[in-house]
Amino acid sequence: MRKNALAGWLLLAPSLLLIGGLILYPIAYNLWLSLFDKHAFMPVQKFVGLQNYRYFAGDPEFWNAFYYGTVYAAVTMVFQLLLGVAAALLLNEAFHGRALLRGVVLFPYVIPTIVAVILWKWLLNDSYGLVNYLLLAAGVVRAPVAWLGKDWIMFSLVLTSVWQFFPFVVVTYLARLQTIPPELYEAATVDGATVWRRFLHVTLPQTSNVLFVIVLLRSIWMFTKFDTVWLMAGESAVSRYVRTLPVYAYARSFTYLQAGMGAALAVIMFGMLLAATFVYFRLFREEEVLT
Amino acid sequence: MPPALSRRRFLASGVAGATLLARAPAVLGQQPRELNVWHTEVEPQTVKVIQDTSIAEFEKKFPGFKVRQQALSWGDLNTKLLASLAAGGPPDLTHLNPFMTASLHTKGLLRPMDELIRALGEKDIHEATLKLQYFDGKYYGVTHAMGATYFAERRDLREKKGIKPPETWADMLQLAAALTEDGRFALQMPGEKLYIGFVHPAEWLAENGGSWVDPKTWRPQLNSKAMLEALEYAQKLNRFQPQGWSGQKYLDTLAALANGKVAMAHLSGARTIGYIEKYAPEGTRDPEHFMPLLRPHGPSGKVGVSALDGENWAVFTQSKYPNEAFEFLRLFYKKENYLQYCHSVPIHLSPIFKSMLTDPAYLANERIKKWKPWHDVMMSGLRSGRFLPIGFSRPDDNVLPFLAELDGSGIVADMVVEVMVGGKTPKAEADRAQKRAEELLTQLGAKRWS
Repeated sequence: MRKNALAGWLLLAPSLLLIGGLILYPIAYNLWLSLFDKHAFMPVQKFVGLQNYRYFAGDPEFWNAFYYGTVYAAVTMVFQLLLGVAAALLLNEAFHGRALLRGVVLFPYVIPTIVAVILWKWLLNDSYGLVNYLLLAAGVVRAPVAWLGKDWIMFSLVLTSVWQFFPFVVVTYLARLQTIPPELYEAATVDGATVWRRFLHVTLPQTSNVLFVIVLLRSIWMFTKFDTVWLMAGESAVSRYVRTLPVYAYARSFTYLQAGMGAALAVIMFGMLLAATFVYFRLFREEEVLT
Repeated sequence: MPPALSRRRFLASGVAGATLLARAPAVLGQQPRELNVWHTEVEPQTVKVIQDTSIAEFEKKFPGFKVRQQALSWGDLNTKLLASLAAGGPPDLTHLNPFMTASLHTKGLLRPMDELIRALGEKDIHEATLKLQYFDGKYYGVTHAMGATYFAERRDLREKKGIKPPETWADMLQLAAALTEDGRFALQMPGEKLYIGFVHPAEWLAENGGSWVDPKTWRPQLNSKAMLEALEYAQKLNRFQPQGWSGQKYLDTLAALANGKVAMAHLSGARTIGYIEKYAPEGTRDPEHFMPLLRPHGPSGKVGVSALDGENWAVFTQSKYPNEAFEFLRLFYKKENYLQYCHSVPIHLSPIFKSMLTDPAYLANERIKKWKPWHDVMMSGLRSGRFLPIGFSRPDDNVLPFLAELDGSGIVADMVVEVMVGGKTPKAEADRAQKRAEELLTQLGAKRWS
């Protein structure tokens, strides 16, 4: 018996080491670091307890970043969901060229973020971008729109992000759609259900589990998204109008060179996501169990 | 079934393997030692010149060494450098931005290089650069080359209007108003945070009698009279820029100047010439149409000031081969090598040696000959003290150990952008920035005021 237990622990050891080394240790170290006033690169540090957290509670920049981050995550998530579900429903139908289209729709998701952002920045550039050229040619606008300027930068960022990430929703949702028994639709049709009714009473209940996971994952990923936001406007003058919490945490660590502050922001984000996930589970998961 | 391995054969293989491993260090010891050199001149022709001149000569002189040069952009260099210092393995020799040097010097990370400076000719090095890295009576750096910045203007358009080069900010606003017509804007600023939030505000302060901090107490001066006037000027100037300038980059502004969308590029150096020669209409690619324009001064200042682009070479206390790094620099500045280096991007890489700036061998370069008025503007600016290192509001800023952090924090950038793009009132934004800057300096342990 003891021999079996030992063998079991030995088999588990690699996984435990990996989880401990790659997940638990960094989280614990980050937590520890957040209690210090520590320079990002120089070996200079001082224990300050919860001072970093207290500072952010009264820091307007933090609350700005929280606001922009929440708006960005919420809006991109909603549009990814709408677009992704619509595209998945379309690609679940039988039509000529469906296989090709299923491949093409993945394209934005598989190209590197840097390529996606450069592409959109080029398209949206107000001096030589294609979007303004087409809008001007069609007479929709009289002067080029400053898509990358203060008033439109959030819109441009959302547009780029939705384009880049909606294929994830398509693939995940489509996979579930393909497993819904066709008999359910046949029965509903026999009962005289319209397309909309079939979607509402067959498709949605059948896919609610996957929608639950999609919303959860995409919300977390968009709230912690750094690369797209940084590449779109991180070093430009208008960065302050799209400065989300991950960007602010990066700035604190690597441009203010205050690693302790950056770590505290990461812990705060972690806590926020944990709390939001907990509430989300309580609100929707329980409801599903009851039904 | 594979043939069985006899014990004797197994032992023999083991001994052979062990011998090979034991010899490995000796073999490794014979490999050339690597001298790591990082710099910020990323133009391919410059990289090639360094490789073909200084590096080739160094490797010939020191056969046991191999020089590995890495050309990095500013931002990349700063981040990579600080990370390498933290890891205890910085390059042997590197470019540094002058505004970072004080910070590294106060942490005891730089080696003095007085002997090298004397060997190069202390009196021949231009005053605009000589003492930028001079602390406690010792030199800790030497500038690789100088490149002045200024407005680049469509001289012909200004002259057609009969307007003289602006002396003051008020003159500049009048000129900007006159040149904004027929869908063309007077000027465009670069939208990068580094320029609009650090380089230009430093210039505005310098040319309006202000400074980043109080020289004695180091208390930030972001809501001082000099800065408030500068913000008002910037807000007014903003009316004459294309709406989307804040989303455009420095190089976009040069293209906009060359193709006639704007009449002035706010930030320009001799690199602009390349854009003019490539994109400006035929018949206009000359100094008759495109000229540098030195900055005007503010109501509280006396003389316009702009940034002098010129990183310095530095050798770290942690450098693995410091002596060889200094030897490399001697070869780098050797006249025939240095001349080729400076000619790789003419005028932008102007020599730091006074004797060379007027040397016929230097001036014989074709591009310098064609664009000589641009060189002359720089010389006149140098003579009249109209340049300061990037990010400096006064010459003594070289001792401030927190300029890199102030730049990185984006505090100044936020203030300027809110005023220029957001249309907010300068006073409110300046007060907000002042409060943030005071907090930052306190956190950095640089607070000297009570």
